[in-house]
Amino acid sequence: MRRAVLVTALCALVGGAVLLPLSAQSTAIPRLPDGHPDLQGLWMKSAGGFQGLFIGSLDGTNFAAPGGGRGDGRGGRAGGGPPAAPRYEYTPEAEAERQDRLKRGYEDPEARCHLPGVPRSLDQPGGLYPVQIIQDEKYVALLHEAMHDVRIIPTDNSAHPKNYSAWDGDSRGRWDGDTFVVDVSNFNGRTWLDMAANFVDANEHVIERFKLVDRDTILYEATVTDPTVFVKPIEFRFTLKRVPADQQILEYSCLEGERSLQHYTDEDGGRKRRAK
Amino acid sequence: MIRAIAAVLLGVAVVAGQATPFVPARLWDKKTPDFRGIWQVRGNANENVERLVVDPPGGKIPYKPEALERQRQNYRNRATADPSLKCYQAGVPRATYLSTPLQILQSPGNFAIVYQENHAFRVFHPEGRPHFDATDWWMGDTRYRWDGDTLVADVAAMTDLAWLDQSGNFHSTEFHVVERYRMTSGDTLEYEARMEDPVVYSRPWTIRTTLGRIKQAGARIIEDECLEDANGVRHHISPSDPRNLLKPDYSRWKKPAQP
Repeated sequence: MRRAVLVTALCALVGGAVLLPLSAQSTAIPRLPDGHPDLQGLWMKSAGGFQGLFIGSLDGTNFAAPGGGRGDGRGGRAGGGPPAAPRYEYTPEAEAERQDRLKRGYEDPEARCHLPGVPRSLDQPGGLYPVQIIQDEKYVALLHEAMHDVRIIPTDNSAHPKNYSAWDGDSRGRWDGDTFVVDVSNFNGRTWLDMAANFVDANEHVIERFKLVDRDTILYEATVTDPTVFVKPIEFRFTLKRVPADQQILEYSCLEGERSLQHYTDEDGGRKRRAK
Repeated sequence: MIRAIAAVLLGVAVVAGQATPFVPARLWDKKTPDFRGIWQVRGNANENVERLVVDPPGGKIPYKPEALERQRQNYRNRATADPSLKCYQAGVPRATYLSTPLQILQSPGNFAIVYQENHAFRVFHPEGRPHFDATDWWMGDTRYRWDGDTLVADVAAMTDLAWLDQSGNFHSTEFHVVERYRMTSGDTLEYEARMEDPVVYSRPWTIRTTLGRIKQAGARIIEDECLEDANGVRHHISPSDPRNLLKPDYSRWKKPAQP
């Protein structure tokens, strides 16, 4: 399953590379009858963000822009150049907490199949898991392959509910010109922002901005504030590229009994049966 | 063509005791029937799907003898063996008649269903391409077409780990479902599923139920994460693995008062 996903992802990327010169010829963006940009389609994160380099190392493809670092000094490429990885400035108390969690990366909630939260739902490893967007006059719905995570975001700028918290928080959107702006609050405070123990608590608040810069490119920006964890807002910025129409989203299951393990021996951490 | 379809629908409606078939509203392409909304079944078919069987008459799933034995075994073990207890996605058609709501998302050319339980979703793809081969997904691979105002979906590539209900009714990887979604009024969505599986059933069988529209203003499906124990561990992760024992919800992180 994982392998199938990866192959599809790589195919999609190759296809995307072929399509790029064509799309660059037209700057007109599709719109719905209500006049708002039509964000619909199947999209794949292509560059930037913290986890952008994670998969890139598997086959030598650099999904992240040159110079994008992992932000934690544990790998990836050093150096400058946009889009840079987010920079986290913790309060002293939170920094101690983060260092403590760093020793237990296996406690990453997403590694336990929990919903990733925001913006991690979009900041998945580049080129790996697409997101399907379906849109009408009332909603912009994000259907993520990863963790089969779903956000159905109303576009009416309605208020967040009271007494509700969730892994993905509560999302309320509005159109600011051609940019879809989403205010996300009501987090349960348990999510990590990445695999490197960068974390938030229940005071997390996110402003996301989705902008269709051409037919095949969404510029995604997120500003994460959490006054009890960070001394200044964290900025995320990366692009989503349209996946060719002959691709489709696959099923993602995060569960016990992962069948890929059957291909590996015990020594490799797998469950392959050996002849006796 | 439209007239012929209308005639067929009329026939169905007459059988169902209605005077005229309901014509659903259209999307902004003025063509596609508009099924958008939050829908939910009433009843408890999730306990036993045989309550919904309309074919064969008599309401029993036509198991082959050896498969019936397996179903009875499943039933005896249902308190622990039902995969939905372990947070797996419910599968097709079970996701439809769970007691939790679903939301239909639609735009011209797009159709998807998001199920509240375990945030499962299905993206329906237009017919024209073959099903994925040799995959075993919980929610299957769906191809659809419009038959008049009825959406007809063909679902295949499903895992044999899924159950159809809490009673241990089951299928193999040869399971194949044809679903029919049809609005019978502005607030009712009829759902029919014809199931075949040459490994497990001696003949195809069909269920039918009706979903009602959730009409409260501002109603939304909510995030449903699988149940966790006191340690914050989801039950589908092996609890015997000590690495899976999380510290209780990071309660150690006493967040400072908001400045």
